[in-house]
Amino acid sequence: MNEANRIDLLLVEDNPQDLELTLRALRKANLSNLKIARDGAEALEYVFCEGPHTGRKITDAPKVILLDLKLPKVDGLEVLRRIKGDPRTKSIPVVVLTSSREQRDIVESYQLGVNSYIVKPVNYERFAAVVRDLGLYWLLLNQPLNGD
Amino acid sequence: MKTEDQLRASLKELGDLKAALDEHAIVAITDPQGRIRYVNDKFCAISKYTREELLGQDHRIINSGHHPKEFIRNLWSTIGRGKVWHGEIKNRAKDGTFYWVDTTLVPFLDEEGKPRQYVAIRADITERKRAEEQLEASTKEVRDLKAALDEHAIVAITDPQGRITYVNDKFCAISKYTREELLGQDHRIINSGHHPKEFIRNLWSTIGRGKVWHGEIKNRAKDGTFYWVDTTLVPFLDEQGKPRQYVAIRADITDRKRAEDALNEMNSELERKVADRTAQLEAANRELEAFSYSVSHDLRAPLRAIDGFSQAVIEDHGPLLPEEGQRHLQVIRSGAQRMGTLIDDLLTFARLSRQGLSRQPVNTGNLVRSVLAELGSPWTGRPVELRMDDLPSCRGDPVLLKQVWMNLLSNALKYTRKREQASIVISGIVEADELIFFVGDNGTGFDMRYADKLFGVFQRLHRVEDFEGSGVGLAIVQRIIQRHGGRVWAKAALGEGATFYFSLPSTPKS
Repeated sequence: MNEANRIDLLLVEDNPQDLELTLRALRKANLSNLKIARDGAEALEYVFCEGPHTGRKITDAPKVILLDLKLPKVDGLEVLRRIKGDPRTKSIPVVVLTSSREQRDIVESYQLGVNSYIVKPVNYERFAAVVRDLGLYWLLLNQPLNGD
Repeated sequence: MKTEDQLRASLKELGDLKAALDEHAIVAITDPQGRIRYVNDKFCAISKYTREELLGQDHRIINSGHHPKEFIRNLWSTIGRGKVWHGEIKNRAKDGTFYWVDTTLVPFLDEEGKPRQYVAIRADITERKRAEEQLEASTKEVRDLKAALDEHAIVAITDPQGRITYVNDKFCAISKYTREELLGQDHRIINSGHHPKEFIRNLWSTIGRGKVWHGEIKNRAKDGTFYWVDTTLVPFLDEQGKPRQYVAIRADITDRKRAEDALNEMNSELERKVADRTAQLEAANRELEAFSYSVSHDLRAPLRAIDGFSQAVIEDHGPLLPEEGQRHLQVIRSGAQRMGTLIDDLLTFARLSRQGLSRQPVNTGNLVRSVLAELGSPWTGRPVELRMDDLPSCRGDPVLLKQVWMNLLSNALKYTRKREQASIVISGIVEADELIFFVGDNGTGFDMRYADKLFGVFQRLHRVEDFEGSGVGLAIVQRIIQRHGGRVWAKAALGEGATFYFSLPSTPKS
């Protein structure tokens, strides 16, 4: 495994304000080894090493993917379906971080194999705490399946 | 001598003939006045009179009274004129029984041509007469039945080729054809074209096999109008078992069919309407779902930005801001957060109408204890006196009922916050057909004049500065209880606390 080629976190977020607030919270938790995708298509290109990411090794998977559901081009549930449906990528932990409290989104996400489903709080302190805790849990506490 | 021999031979022959006649027939001889001069044994036997009782009497002794005077008069006048009379006569025996005799009356004349005597030769035809009478009676019965049938039903008879050989008046009336137009035609003359070939084929094959066919047929009258007949087709077979003729008996069921058609039309109209309404409702539901999805997702994002960036300003540039500026940013933040809560509550409320109920037995006591624990009981920071009675178990959706208790108990805690000693009572009553639960407190209470606003969405009876809240909690309580088939109500006085009641049916309808 080449640690230099491997990012900690893939953040899939289209909303610029949410993106900035999330990055702010991650930075405060000293989590900065990450990649940003602004829509579902970018996220898939990165994960499956296509387009601008051709040549990247699919085994150099992020330690966790933070995924919004409502995304341009390819929506979050479709991204989740593709990642969890492919044997090469299905063991990558995916956390849905969304505004949607809709039961059908929650149910479908879990049926597709999501590892965690988090509703973004409106209150910034709580939002920041959630992002920090997520980062700490998935990057420091969780023991990942080694891609080698 | 020869003449004497011949005479003797003739007499012998005559004697033989008479003996043969007596053997065969009922014989009587009367004089011109009608008095009986001779009867043979057969006459005595059939009339049951002895010879002595009969001789010297006239024929009135065996008169049955059956024949009209005219008949008797005609008889006497015929034989009075020296002519042979032949006919059938009903007589009465001594014992009162009747018998019929085929009778030939032969007058014998004297030299002046006047009747000298009458010879009556009779044959017993009682049996034949009885059979005739029976035949006539049953023929009459058949005639009566046919008349009754014609009165009641539409009748037609066809030959084996299907040509109409008989129709009654009712057939003509309903088909609007004259009898002349129908006879010799086959039934295609009234074919409506309504029935599939298969139907007609089945009909002919049934009666062709000698079986009765029964069904409902739509026919076409001469004027182009249609009529429905309930039809029974009965084949009558010849000695070889081949249909000899078909009798069709029909009843007019046009009105019934029309009513059925109207009913079917109404039913399908109703089904169409229901389908339309359902589609509309589903569309509205989908729209509502899309709406709340957008609310859920899109309305929260800007609020997060308002709150988050206000906080970012406070964190990054706090020291540069005057105190008033910092306070304003906090006001912006609390506004955004409050709107976040409102959206969440509103979505919860909207979801309640869509979500299905999962009814099951609920241990109310355990449910309430878990809610109290979630609300932080026992409360160490403030004095709360809590009295909880034994609560009857109920049937309902445990998740939704928990929401009800959560809202009512958190309200009780909220509105007693300013009391030195808060007092909360939780109790339940078992009524005949419902359970009544209530939560009472000694809190702020409210003015009963505004009680009707309590359960409305976004209706509040207190200022936000005094008691925070979105005004959706009691609306949620009411919606949940109503969906369980129960009621909610409250009693209160301003400054003296409030009691909130709700009922649940004890045998909920499924």
